[in-house]
Amino acid sequence: MFTKIFKTFLCLVFVGSLFADTTLIKNATIYDGVKNIPFEGNILIENGTIKRISSANMQADFVIDASGMIVTPGIIGTDTNIGIVEIGALSVTRDDSSDIYSIGFSIHDAFNPKSTLIPWNRSNGVTSALSLPQNTSSPIGGLGSYFLLDGELDITSNKDIVMIGNVGGSSNKSRAETFAVMDDLLSFASSINARDLSSDSDIADLIEGSPIADFMELHPRDVKALFKLVNDNLPLIISTHRASDILKLIELKEKYSLNLIIKGAQDASLVASQIAESNIPLIINPINNIPDSFDELASNIQMASRLEKKGIDIMFNTPRSHNFHLVRQGAGVAVANGMSYEAAIKAITSTPANVFNIDQRGEIKTGYFADIVVWDADPLEPSSMPEYVFINGKAIDLTTRSSRLRDRYTTQPEKPNTYRN
Amino acid sequence: MTISPKYSFLLALFFLCFNFELIAKPFESTYEPLPSVNVLIKNANIYDGEGNELLQTDILINDRKIAAIGKDLPVTDDFEVIDASGKWVTPGIIDIHSHMGVYPAPGVRTSSDGNEATSPVTADVWAEHSMWVQDPQYTLALSGGVTAFHVLPGSANLIGGRGVTVKNLQRVTINSMKFPNAPHSLKMACGENPKRVYGNRQQAPSTRMGNIAGYRKAWIEAEAYLNRLNEYESKSDEAKEMGYKPPRDLELDTLAGVLRGEILVHNHCYRADEMASMIDVAKEFGYKITAFHHGVEAYKIADLLAENNICGALWADWWGFKHEAYDMVQANIAIVDQAKGGTGCAIVHSDDAIGIQHLNQEASKALSAGIRAGYDISKARAMNWITSNPAKAAGIYDQTGSLKVGKNADVVIWSKNPFSVYALAETVFIDGGLAYDRESGFYPSSDFDIGIINSNKNRLEE
Repeated sequence: MFTKIFKTFLCLVFVGSLFADTTLIKNATIYDGVKNIPFEGNILIENGTIKRISSANMQADFVIDASGMIVTPGIIGTDTNIGIVEIGALSVTRDDSSDIYSIGFSIHDAFNPKSTLIPWNRSNGVTSALSLPQNTSSPIGGLGSYFLLDGELDITSNKDIVMIGNVGGSSNKSRAETFAVMDDLLSFASSINARDLSSDSDIADLIEGSPIADFMELHPRDVKALFKLVNDNLPLIISTHRASDILKLIELKEKYSLNLIIKGAQDASLVASQIAESNIPLIINPINNIPDSFDELASNIQMASRLEKKGIDIMFNTPRSHNFHLVRQGAGVAVANGMSYEAAIKAITSTPANVFNIDQRGEIKTGYFADIVVWDADPLEPSSMPEYVFINGKAIDLTTRSSRLRDRYTTQPEKPNTYRN
Repeated sequence: MTISPKYSFLLALFFLCFNFELIAKPFESTYEPLPSVNVLIKNANIYDGEGNELLQTDILINDRKIAAIGKDLPVTDDFEVIDASGKWVTPGIIDIHSHMGVYPAPGVRTSSDGNEATSPVTADVWAEHSMWVQDPQYTLALSGGVTAFHVLPGSANLIGGRGVTVKNLQRVTINSMKFPNAPHSLKMACGENPKRVYGNRQQAPSTRMGNIAGYRKAWIEAEAYLNRLNEYESKSDEAKEMGYKPPRDLELDTLAGVLRGEILVHNHCYRADEMASMIDVAKEFGYKITAFHHGVEAYKIADLLAENNICGALWADWWGFKHEAYDMVQANIAIVDQAKGGTGCAIVHSDDAIGIQHLNQEASKALSAGIRAGYDISKARAMNWITSNPAKAAGIYDQTGSLKVGKNADVVIWSKNPFSVYALAETVFIDGGLAYDRESGFYPSSDFDIGIINSNKNRLEE
């Protein structure tokens, strides 16, 4: 019964907002994604963007009274495979790896805006996401793209905005070899002039002339991506954990002026000062305190709080993109273990926007796109849920396949299962 | 009556040779609890694991047991007093699905001992013989209030072997961690995993129908074995001496134990239709399924589970890693709990070394999803999902799983309401011994943790 009323209510909200030119979220407790303290206020949305934030009363076609509710920017997924993997164990639904390309492999064109992961994560407050490929055969390589989770077939994306890589314990080779390959690749990349890239046959000559490029059987796409990495300040996310590996990466960052981000980083608290000094943002899973390999022995539930104290920019991830929204739970656990609430909110909103150069998102700020979540209670409590989710100012229908299945099996008992809604 | 040494020797020999049921069981628990502390916890808010919420109530731990629960219990010099004003107290958390020890950290090949994936039926293997007692994950679970957990073999096989329930007290031998008088379990697995593992080797099972045939063949053998045993055991002593003793078979020992009701069946199964088929297999051979594990589709057959007294041991929200885990509903646990007028048995399980540390949060998510689906479920009832219900499914409810006078003093003091993400387990007692105390930094360290980053520190020391 409750569900039915709630659904009707949401439906009305949805339809109402579709025809609304302006929307007002009033009396909200706003965490804007940047400020360290929340403030009470009203948010006016017009034409997809935030028109005005004020304590003054404003008029709008559609008004939401958010008294007692917390409003945040939409969560930005920093490390997902949303839209490129539907079912983990079904390879026919996976588009996150390539046999031919390594460094230049882009997942962008595989993105499926109709993936069921999108409504589900969105109804839990994730409004956009960076989707990354699997690690490629090259220790630096593979391009990730940023997608708005509006579910439209006409996708809104930032293509190939980040490169990935990884180094660490491996069953078949020394990490010393990995670092040497990275250094060789970066050195090769630094030697390339833009005019060398004018045609694929020119690039083929370049490859032939470079022992490392030749050995790794690079394709022109790979070389172009490498060039972009060292010349366009492309963010480079390297997965690594061990303290000594982190220090080695800092050397590479300095040597090649890389825009380096380190992911995983379970040993980070051992080298926190060096990370802070080198201004390296981290992507960590704050709930993961398992010493899951010999590279991750310093895994500790207090890591997020220790890194925050050093002034390091922190972003959060979670290993399962189907429930990427559970970064909220991880963030809550980080707060329970000493991190500030505000830093935990930043870690899933404004920090990823800044680090990955995502313009005008990740904050509740005048002129920014209205990617906004109105929560029924504290968003870092995993028991809380959004009441409203806006993407580009549009209220999103929060119905999901999961909510449909729930309703099918909890209502309409008079009908046979498969004849229910 | 006295028995001469010679006669008793012969008698012993007789039993040894002809009646292996009477041989002292191997691998018995040698568990010894921590030093006993007598504690009066004052003014706590309590979820007792029986569905009750008791506000500002005292709880007395005496001689390893819950000695009293009530308002204004008298303070005496015999008890250390803990002021728990504003704090919450629950029974020790129990996880019915863990692979700690058999898949320890670090997750390296050489200690990956959870799946004897060499034959689809390996009822002869016991998880306890794979468990690494120095796994550093036990302590982490303890910091989440976990006082006991049930370790299962993996799900590669149709019948994967025996599971074991242990106290969350790291010891040097596995027998000294085993929960005294806890029954063994049998791990069975439906669906994708067994058919993938063996199908990829061009052997049976490679389909779901192959899976079902595989269980039934195993139970037919077990029935015959049990019949031979029963027939032999029903004979007179003389007849036994003359007759042929059925040769012992490790695999069939376990399966016969299930048919005798001594070993509890824990069945990994995601899809509703497969769970229903497994219930038919159980009925065909006269055994009981104690719990379906993972059961992402349990909500589709919640009434059937309740009618058959089968618990659903479930996640709050995992989905999508396999096709059989695609139809996730967050209210799954609540729907199973509320089936047949609230007679269902719901359990929140982890199957994960991180999840086991936050079962209270997992229960909180499941509860809020249930409330959103329109059910009227209290936090006190949801606490049963991680305490008394898993205790029942592990066969240890007579000893633990709720705060009842006379039960083991397995008690957690939480900093806040445990349904909040901000709540931390502050103090944990196991059998009335202090196992964990956050404020004073009192917690066990495995041998693995010692001196591994810095020689003069333990792993978790800053």
